[in-house]
Amino acid sequence: MGRIPTAELSRYLLYGQLSRRGCLRGGITRISTTSALRQSRFFSTQIDTPAGAAPANVPLTPLRKELKEQAKALKASGKKKKKNSDNQTVPGWELTVGIEIHAQLNTARKLFSPAATSFNDTPNSHVALFDVAMPGSQPLFQAETLIPAVRAALALNCTIQPISRFDRKHYFHWDQPAGYQITQYYHPFARDGRVMLYARDGIAAEDGECIEIGIRQIQMEQDTAKTTAVPGNVHWLDFNRVGVPLIEIITLPEIHHPATAAALVRKVQMLLNSVDACVSGMETGGLRADINVSVRRVQDIATGKLGTRTEIKNLSSFKAVEDAIIAERDRQIAILEAGGVVLGETRGWSLGNTETRRLRGKEGEVDYRYMPDPDLGPVVIGEDLVQHLKGTLGVLPDAEIDELIELYGLTTKDAMSLIQLDNGARIQYFYNVLDSLEERLRAAGSASPNSDSPAGQRHALLAANWCLHELGKLTEVSADLGMTPDGECNVPSVDLAAILFHLHRREITAKVAKELLWAVFRGQIPRGKVTQAIEADDLWFNELSEQDYAELADKVVEGEDKVLAEFLRFKQGKIKAYPQGKLMFLVGKIMRAGPEGRMDPESAKRVLRDRIEHVYLPHMEGQ
Amino acid sequence: MLARSRPSSLPWLPKDAIPSPHSPTRFTLAVKDNIATADGHTTTTCGSPFLSNYRSPFEATIVSQLRARGGRVVGKTNLDEFGMGSHSVHSAFGAVAQDSPEQLAGDVKALRSAGGSSGGSAVSVLLGEADVALGTDTGGSVRLPAAYCGVVGFKPSYGMLSRFGVVPYANSLDTVGFLAREVRPIRELIVGDGTTQGLWAEHDPNDPTSLTPSARKRCARSRQFYSPSQSPDPSILNGLRLGLPLEYNIHELSPTIRDAWSRAASLLQSHFSARIIPVSLPSTRHALSAYYVIAPAEASSNLAKYDGIRYGVRDTSVENDAAADGVLYASSRGKGFGPEVRRRILLGAYTLSSKAMDNYFLQAQRVRRLVRRDFDRVFALPNPLVDPDQQVFDLSDLPEGTIMEDKWGPEEVDFLLCPTAPTLAPTLGEVMEGGSPVDEYVNDVFTVPASLAGLPAASVPMPVEGEGEGKTAGLQLIGQYWDDARLLAVAEVIREILRG
Repeated sequence: MGRIPTAELSRYLLYGQLSRRGCLRGGITRISTTSALRQSRFFSTQIDTPAGAAPANVPLTPLRKELKEQAKALKASGKKKKKNSDNQTVPGWELTVGIEIHAQLNTARKLFSPAATSFNDTPNSHVALFDVAMPGSQPLFQAETLIPAVRAALALNCTIQPISRFDRKHYFHWDQPAGYQITQYYHPFARDGRVMLYARDGIAAEDGECIEIGIRQIQMEQDTAKTTAVPGNVHWLDFNRVGVPLIEIITLPEIHHPATAAALVRKVQMLLNSVDACVSGMETGGLRADINVSVRRVQDIATGKLGTRTEIKNLSSFKAVEDAIIAERDRQIAILEAGGVVLGETRGWSLGNTETRRLRGKEGEVDYRYMPDPDLGPVVIGEDLVQHLKGTLGVLPDAEIDELIELYGLTTKDAMSLIQLDNGARIQYFYNVLDSLEERLRAAGSASPNSDSPAGQRHALLAANWCLHELGKLTEVSADLGMTPDGECNVPSVDLAAILFHLHRREITAKVAKELLWAVFRGQIPRGKVTQAIEADDLWFNELSEQDYAELADKVVEGEDKVLAEFLRFKQGKIKAYPQGKLMFLVGKIMRAGPEGRMDPESAKRVLRDRIEHVYLPHMEGQ
Repeated sequence: MLARSRPSSLPWLPKDAIPSPHSPTRFTLAVKDNIATADGHTTTTCGSPFLSNYRSPFEATIVSQLRARGGRVVGKTNLDEFGMGSHSVHSAFGAVAQDSPEQLAGDVKALRSAGGSSGGSAVSVLLGEADVALGTDTGGSVRLPAAYCGVVGFKPSYGMLSRFGVVPYANSLDTVGFLAREVRPIRELIVGDGTTQGLWAEHDPNDPTSLTPSARKRCARSRQFYSPSQSPDPSILNGLRLGLPLEYNIHELSPTIRDAWSRAASLLQSHFSARIIPVSLPSTRHALSAYYVIAPAEASSNLAKYDGIRYGVRDTSVENDAAADGVLYASSRGKGFGPEVRRRILLGAYTLSSKAMDNYFLQAQRVRRLVRRDFDRVFALPNPLVDPDQQVFDLSDLPEGTIMEDKWGPEEVDFLLCPTAPTLAPTLGEVMEGGSPVDEYVNDVFTVPASLAGLPAASVPMPVEGEGEGKTAGLQLIGQYWDDARLLAVAEVIREILRG
């Protein structure tokens, strides 16, 4: 199930180099992007912060009263904010959305210069002559950027074009030294793809179990420089980012519900991560979406003509995609219902707003004057490369989720989480833990590690739960797991596997297992020394014997005749439900009465039930 | 007013300026100022206010290649701003002329144009300040000054000489070219002289349009005179087929030049057994228009980087509301460029705009393909860059009245022989007070077709009689792609013959 990292694959394909560590799987460490709070990468212009919006001398109103009045006013105006899930359609209207997604490719070099791609390095330290458009410098296409790009296109089921070309898109901005961006406008490298969205991907209920969204094209293009606004209306530019390769994914206008649009963006991110095509997700700014929104009356659908569309730029979260579409749809419908006309314009959206805002109108529209770049020849992508990349693509997320659900018995929600966490590294970690755990189980000769059997499912499910939930608790406080793309973190997979091995064999209690996990996470147990640590602190689960449990039970039920009478009533059919609560009450008493750390509530429960059934009740009946 | 490049004074360079790090000096070299030099003290201005104090951090490949062959850079030469012009008068450093003002008692208007845009380079070799000068030729910018100044100018096949470090005007047309008093030094640089490798064989990985080593070898395989041992003599002309393009006999062609052209052709035919064959290049009349669409379009894109922030002077008199309208750039760019550059940027921006693209830019590209087809049809050698299947021509495509050699079609030729410019060098007075900019563009009518097709061409001095007695015009030879070596060999022989 291992995936070949893009960097390694491109070294192999382009330069014939194989990892010296002997096999293509794993082993490549990349700079972790999780630790640093990166600045949002796509805000090329500064963000305007409204100057001191402090209310001036407003008479003080009690908050409760204020809230009440606001709610009342909302109700009166009929504008009460609906939950998004109840707000996917407007009767009488059809919404149409097309999305453009920009994603940063996972490559070592820039698109047209051998300068390295980097994050958070010293600003302006990875800049080639061409990156800053020095007079007389020329673009040098870096063939290795094609590998993640083609993988991304294949994951999105596109047809790779044998010949594609680069065009210049002209506009002036300080973050773009050449005065144009090189992109693929006339001849993109991939066309005609599609993405399947299922209910579990979070599509609108109106779209049913599954829906297919078409991809018009994918093009490669250059990123711009990073602008950092500093006080005093000064902007700092970091040209490390200029020329970094991006892909732009353009969907067909086939989306009709806001939630489905957000699901599509999420799904695209998941697919790109799964083939290691992109460096980071939306939350870290490596992915950004522009959306095109139009509405038309239901009776106009037959005409086949879409309404006038507006474009909302630079959305940087899934929620923003959904919220912005709802807001823009409602704005357009309100205009049309009032007899107005929707203007084709570019609009913006800030998180937390309820309305999109106008950025520029059609008359202010930039004519990009696209021109084929006269320095760059066509890009020829051979069928052999495409076939090779197809063959090494690995299992795509949908197949993997199905497998996790069917084979290991995970819930859909847990399977999706496992796949999406840490940009796809968490699932890799899970496989590492599972491999290690199964190896130990095999070596110990206990429980068939065959995952197909119910017993196998049990240990896999255990591993999944721990990789997801118990590991998740570690980071609730503050620290970071330090998860690497090949699935290792501050809790080495072998150590978690060791903990789970003992837990699965009931050699330690769940409580001890959790304490061990913390100790490993904090570095208190050296790598590979979990078993020794258990040994040293004598944490083994030295369980009471059946006899001990029985004696404890006998002691505990003394004076609890009223409770036991309930069981009798159940036995005699006087009450329908088994008095589970009463049983657990007694189990609790046993647990408190016995020695700590040597008891398992399950065992206590089993023995107690047995005693009630075969000893206490016959005894009571006999009285 | 005077050219910064007037080679009698190279004030910005100490006399013994740049010691070559590579080899002993074998020739002096002047470098057009749109080619990057990085020796610590020369600027690379492109004749533009934007780059008036720009020092390039790197050196152009061609300069390094020539220094490795013993070239000593003695100066940078003036030019039309960014190479845009035909008389080297559109420069931030003043106009170039081929006479010194003292000769004409300070009558600036009577000075003769040096041609453009490599005017400074032409004058530097004319006056002997440099043995070889580097120019750039986008639509005739090396050949036209050579013709006006009576020196030799050579534009190689596109992709032969590296453009890395050459500030682009129109990338798909730009070539580095040479100017010298004789053909031989140029030929020896291109082909090699037995001790140094010919430039034709050197690929530059920094220039994506530089032909790969394998493509160079493949192209040269079907060509002659790439071996330095083959020295040309007049026998080369024996039976050589020289085509005279009928369409070049335009009404703007001055009678003096027309006479000199036909005299030169007769001489080569009668005394040296060359065969003079009239040929037809029907797309010629559209070539000039196509050039003045394509070149400005690429220029408008290439020059977008000069915005007054990193280069040139920023106009701070207007309010900085760049975020809203981009006015920050508009004013700086408007003030920073000279009028000719402004004109071409506007022209290019228009022809690329979404409404005009189809009618201008795309149409011009179609014309460009037809121009190349015309050449491929008349040349006996095939074009190695074009699929052989596409070089089969239908007789029905030929214009009426074309003379057939036999039932297979008109006779094919080895080279085209034509004037370089339609007139003798005008005076600066005529240039600057003359008519519309289009009049200036007409000077390029004979040089532009070879540029559009990427073909090699050379201009050698051709004596004129009658009105311009004692003066010289330029005689142009155009060859098939990568036939540069033989073209230079023939040019060398013709240069000797026309010297009289």
